[in-house]
Amino acid sequence: MKVFRSVLWTAPALFVLAAPSFLDRGTLNDLWSLAFAVTLASAWNLLGGFAGQVSLGYSAFLGIGAYTTVLLSLRGFDPFLTLPLGAIIAAIFSVAIGLPAFRLRGPYFTIATIGVGEAVRVCAASVSFTGGSSGIRMPAGSFDFNRNYLSMVILAILTVALAAYVKRSAFGRALAAIKQDIDAAEALGVNSTRFKLAAHALSAAVVAVAGSLYAINFQYIAPGSVFDFQLSLSIVLMPIIGGVGSVVGPVLGALIVSTLQIKLLSMPVLRDSFLFIYGGLLIFVMLYEPKGLVGIGRRLWALGAATFRSKGGIVDAA
Amino acid sequence: MQQFVSVVFNSLLAAGLYATMAYGLAVIYGVMRIINLAHAGVMMLGAYVTFALFTRFSLDPFLGLVVVAPLFFVFGVVLYRLFGKRMAGSGTAPSIESLLLLFGVWLVLQNAAYVVWTGDTQSILTSYTMKSIKIAGVRVGVVSVFVFLASLISLVFLNVLLTRTYLGKAIRAVTQNRDAARLSGVNADRISAIAFGLGTAFAGIAGAMFSTLMAFTPDFGRSFLLKAFCIIVLGGMESVTGVATGALVLALLENGLAAYTTVPTSLQDAVSFALLFVALVALPRGLPGLLARFERRSTR
Repeated sequence: MKVFRSVLWTAPALFVLAAPSFLDRGTLNDLWSLAFAVTLASAWNLLGGFAGQVSLGYSAFLGIGAYTTVLLSLRGFDPFLTLPLGAIIAAIFSVAIGLPAFRLRGPYFTIATIGVGEAVRVCAASVSFTGGSSGIRMPAGSFDFNRNYLSMVILAILTVALAAYVKRSAFGRALAAIKQDIDAAEALGVNSTRFKLAAHALSAAVVAVAGSLYAINFQYIAPGSVFDFQLSLSIVLMPIIGGVGSVVGPVLGALIVSTLQIKLLSMPVLRDSFLFIYGGLLIFVMLYEPKGLVGIGRRLWALGAATFRSKGGIVDAA
Repeated sequence: MQQFVSVVFNSLLAAGLYATMAYGLAVIYGVMRIINLAHAGVMMLGAYVTFALFTRFSLDPFLGLVVVAPLFFVFGVVLYRLFGKRMAGSGTAPSIESLLLLFGVWLVLQNAAYVVWTGDTQSILTSYTMKSIKIAGVRVGVVSVFVFLASLISLVFLNVLLTRTYLGKAIRAVTQNRDAARLSGVNADRISAIAFGLGTAFAGIAGAMFSTLMAFTPDFGRSFLLKAFCIIVLGGMESVTGVATGALVLALLENGLAAYTTVPTSLQDAVSFALLFVALVALPRGLPGLLARFERRSTR
């Protein structure tokens, strides 16, 4: 079982790493988007899934990473050297937001994060050094798609590995305790604010790096693209569809949502209905299986195991 | 001085509409303990229904309220019946599931508007849209005055309903303690459906009035939803007067900033979002809570 599971994780990772040698550029572009989606979904899951703090303001961190990279590149820095700086700024910002916001619980926290996300977007659109609402372009220079592709894929793999590591660590268990019952966790000596801040900062940093790589690959960013509410929305939607709180859930969700985006929405009939699809999926999951695809999978597994066992019982009796 | 009067006057006019918009949210929150993100979608739909009535049947947007209000009440009850299972308030804290569910409803409504009315910017131009009158030396648009009067009528209606009727008493009882209300024979499920209908009707009315004041797209509503949150957090969720106070504070802040500072208009929305954040964190029980705290301190 353990071998089976590790093969299941490493085979796709090796496949996407080796992909540039045998796949064409169009498919690689789709894989880049997939890796981007996996990174965002898994990073959001660190706070939203493991600790149960649903934030709708993650586009702020994506935007911080993207803008840091573009603005510094324009001043002559190597784009890839700006990645850690964007991550650090985003982490500091996440702590500044989190210190007051984590005093709020559940949906109140969620609403505060909508406010933060919108405020950051409005600010980026109206101050001058970000280029305003018309956006800003990367300096003309070396554009190497293979390098962009590999860095995105490696970030995605590292993020999933980080999520798996966090889930098993004492840190992850503290987050799970906070999610289940924050008062009980506090009573047992878990400093809930500190753990929530740490998870927030960690996921913000990862999302900011993804934002930087987005800017490097698309060469152009604007408040409408990196600070978009739609983006914050899909970041939340992917883990929810796949199953919050598990490691594999966000990956599955990212797979589904980005496939939907790439394949279905390239059809003209469906291009105007992606909000129907997003909203419908959200309603469906919340009504029937709040644990998402992982929850459905577990149910099927339990059902299968139960039938198998009852059949075995009959054989024994005979 | 002239400018000061003008700021106060315009804030007062804006506050009426803000209070109507926020009260729908507060009623639903009070009875069901859910945060209705679909409110923004319903406001947008209210604007478009008014627009459709105006263009198809050349029905005046303010007379259209007579159609919009009952229509959206029914719409709200239908929404409750469809999703009530997940939305019905359990315990004292709102659940994140109901929030995300209603978020999904909002997205579906938004997409429906894109399909029916396309993403083009629409606006309603009546014969009196550009007219203005002078009150106490301040020039104000006729439409803003009409909007204020319509809001006032809706709020007075709601206040009478809540304080003078059996239904209102039942709604307040469920708001205060759902289980105790049920023990005394109140049908909490039915009251919840009615409250959701009422809240939705108020969102529809607010949307209809916004459509007479400004241009709109299917994306319209998000910033107003945040403003509505800001108002109910500031004003407390208990009373019509609390909500009205919150609305006035927000309107005064917005108009004052526009008149006395050089904050660009594009940044004004950010101000109300920041206020929402500060209010949520620093004033968990709103301005009434703050007042109560001061009173307690002074009597001690």
